[in-house]
Amino acid sequence: MDEKTNNMTSPKKAKKTTKVPNPDGLWTKEVRAEINHKAETGQHRVRGMGVNMRYPNFDDLLVLPAQLSRLSVDTYREPCVTKTVLGTRFAKKPLEIETPIMISGMSYGALGKEAKTALAKATQIVGTSINNGEGGLLPEERDNSYKQVVQILPSRFGFSLETIEAADALEIICGIGAKPGLTGHLLGSKITEEIAEMRQIPAGLDLYSHPRHGDIFGPDDMVLKIQELRDITNYEIPIFLKIAAGRVTEDVKIAVKTGADGIVIDGCQGGTGAAPVVALKNLGIPTLPALVQATRALEDMGVKDELSLIVSGGIKDGADVAKAMALGADAVAIGTGANIALGCTTCHQCHEGICGSGICTQEPKYRELLKCDAAERVANYITAMTNEAVIIAKAAGKTRLSNLEREDIRSVTLEACAMTGIPLVGTNYTFTERFGFC
Amino acid sequence: MEHLDIADKSIAETNRALRDLIAEHDQVVIDNPHSSHNLGTALKGTGVVTIKGSTGYFTGGFLAGPTLDIQGNTGWYTGDNMSAGEIIISKNTGSNCGPSMMGGTILVRGSSGSRIGFAMKGGNMIVCGDVGRWAGYMTLGGRIIVLGKMGPEIGESMYKGIIHSVDPELQNKLGNNVAVIPITDEEKKEVSALFEKYQIEHPVENFKSVIPLKTGRKKYKIFNPTHLEIPQNG
Repeated sequence: MDEKTNNMTSPKKAKKTTKVPNPDGLWTKEVRAEINHKAETGQHRVRGMGVNMRYPNFDDLLVLPAQLSRLSVDTYREPCVTKTVLGTRFAKKPLEIETPIMISGMSYGALGKEAKTALAKATQIVGTSINNGEGGLLPEERDNSYKQVVQILPSRFGFSLETIEAADALEIICGIGAKPGLTGHLLGSKITEEIAEMRQIPAGLDLYSHPRHGDIFGPDDMVLKIQELRDITNYEIPIFLKIAAGRVTEDVKIAVKTGADGIVIDGCQGGTGAAPVVALKNLGIPTLPALVQATRALEDMGVKDELSLIVSGGIKDGADVAKAMALGADAVAIGTGANIALGCTTCHQCHEGICGSGICTQEPKYRELLKCDAAERVANYITAMTNEAVIIAKAAGKTRLSNLEREDIRSVTLEACAMTGIPLVGTNYTFTERFGFC
Repeated sequence: MEHLDIADKSIAETNRALRDLIAEHDQVVIDNPHSSHNLGTALKGTGVVTIKGSTGYFTGGFLAGPTLDIQGNTGWYTGDNMSAGEIIISKNTGSNCGPSMMGGTILVRGSSGSRIGFAMKGGNMIVCGDVGRWAGYMTLGGRIIVLGKMGPEIGESMYKGIIHSVDPELQNKLGNNVAVIPITDEEKKEVSALFEKYQIEHPVENFKSVIPLKTGRKKYKIFNPTHLEIPQNG
C-alpha cells in the first residue's frame, strides 16, 4: 500500500480533512457551558436581569407620520400633554404623574440604599413615581420620592400599616415577568444586618420567599382583600394588580372583576435581581403580545376607559413608550433601563451582591462606586425618553401622548403583525385576528 | 357601652362607625354581624369591641391596638397583618389564621384550620383545640401555642419564632429546617403568663418547642428521587 492510500484510510487523517458545516450545531459554547455547570453542581443556574432572547417587540412597529390626511404638531413650539392620571376607576385620589414613565418595583435588598435613593430623587426631578419592591419601604426612598407606589407581596417583608399609609398607590403582586409563578430569591451574601432588620429575617441565610399570598388564596379572596385595603386607605388611593404575562386574557378579566383600579402587565423581558435561568428563558410571554391581549380583554368587557393599564418588561426608549400607548397602555414602568442609567453594565451578576456599578450590592465598598450624579442621570434618561415619545406623538399629529392610537402604527414584520393584529406596513392586511381594524 | 347594629350597614359604613366609636368609648358591642367579611379592619387605639355572633373572612385585619372579642366563629384570614391588640374567638376559625401578623395576640378557644401563622412575624397565637397542616409555615417571628393535635409539616421553613405543642406525634409531623427541643423554664413562665391572662387551664410542663434550625439547614431539593431510600419498616 502506498503512502497516499494509507493516509486516505487512516481515521486520524480522515478526521482532519472532514469539514463539518456548523460544527457546534445545537451544542454551542453556551449550551455546553450550561451542561457543564449542571454536571459539576447538580444545580440549575441562577442569575440576575431578564431574558436575553430577541422576541418581537416595539421595534417591530412603525409610527405613521401626519402629512396631508392630518396635520403634524410643531415639535418645539406647540404643547403635547404628558401628564398621566392613573387609577380613576374607584380611587378618590388617583395617581397623578408628569410623564407616563414610572419606575418599577426593585427592592431595597436587591438594590443598595444609595441606588434606591438615587431612583427616588430622580422621580422628584421629573415628577413620576417609584415603587418600593419587596422588603419594606426604605425611609430615604419615601422621603425623596415624588409619588410612592407600595407593593404588597406574598412575603410581606417589612410590610405594615404604616407603609400602606405612606403610599400614593398600592400594587398587589401576582407575579413578575422575569420569573412568574416563582418565589423571590435573595441570597445570603446580600442579606446584611440592616437588610435583615428591615425584612425581619436572619442575616446571611439564603431566602426563598413563597409565591402565594398567605391571605389571598384565589380571586374571590382578592376581591375581599382589595375591599379591605380600600377600607384602610379611606377609599382614596388607587390599587393596582401586577400580573406576569401568561394567560393574559383570562387574568385581566379576573383582575377587572376583583375591583382593581388598574392592571400592571409585566412581560417576560422584565428583569429581576436573581432567578433561575430556565425561568427567565421559558416562563411567560413577551410584552408586545401581552399588551395587545390585555387591551383586547378590557375592550371585550367594556372597561378600557375605566381601568388604567400599565405595561413593563423591556421598555427602553421613548418610541417604546409611544407605541405601547398606541396599543392601549396608559403608562409604562422601567426597571433595567433605569438601572443602566444609574451605571449598570448588564453583567447579569446582580444576585452575587458584588456589583461593580454600586447598584445591586449591599457591600459598602461597592456601594461607594455608584455614580455621584446617578439621580440626575436617571432623571435625564426619563426626560429624554419622554421627549422622544412626544416627538413621535406630535409627528403623528397628537397634542396629548394619550391620544396615540393603534391606527397610528403599522407592523414591520410578519411576526409582529400576527401577534398584534396591526396591519403589515404597505398593506391594510393583518395575518391574524384583527385588533380594531376592519 | 355603645351598641352598633350592623344588620343593614355596608362594611364601609360599619368600619367607619366602629373607628369613631372606639375612639370615644372603651366598650363597643356589635350586634348582628351576620358573618360579615372585613369586619374591624385597621382599628387603632384601645378598648374592647365585642362582636355578638360569627364573622366572615379577614376579621380584624391590620388590627393595631384594641381587643376584638368574637362570640362565635370567624372565617379565613382572621387577624391578617395585625400589629397590636387582641382577637379572642370563642369558637373556631377558618384556615390561614393570623397570616403575616406582626404583633398582638390571637386566641382561638376552639380549633383552627390549616396554615395558622402563615408567614407570621411577631405576636402570640394560641389555639386551644386542633389545627391543620402547615402550622407556622415560613414564620419570621412570634409564638404559636397549640393545645390540641396538629397536622403535618409543622414549621416548614421557619426562619425565626417558636411553636409550642403537646402533640405526642410532633416529631413525626415536622416540616423542613426545624427541630424539636424541650421547653425552657423561661418559656414555661411566658406561656404560663399567657394562660393566666386568658384563663386557660392547661399544664405547661409537657410542651415541646419547635424552633428553626440556624445551621445545617436543608438545601431545597426540587427533584427528589425516592427509589434509593431505605424503607423504614423493613
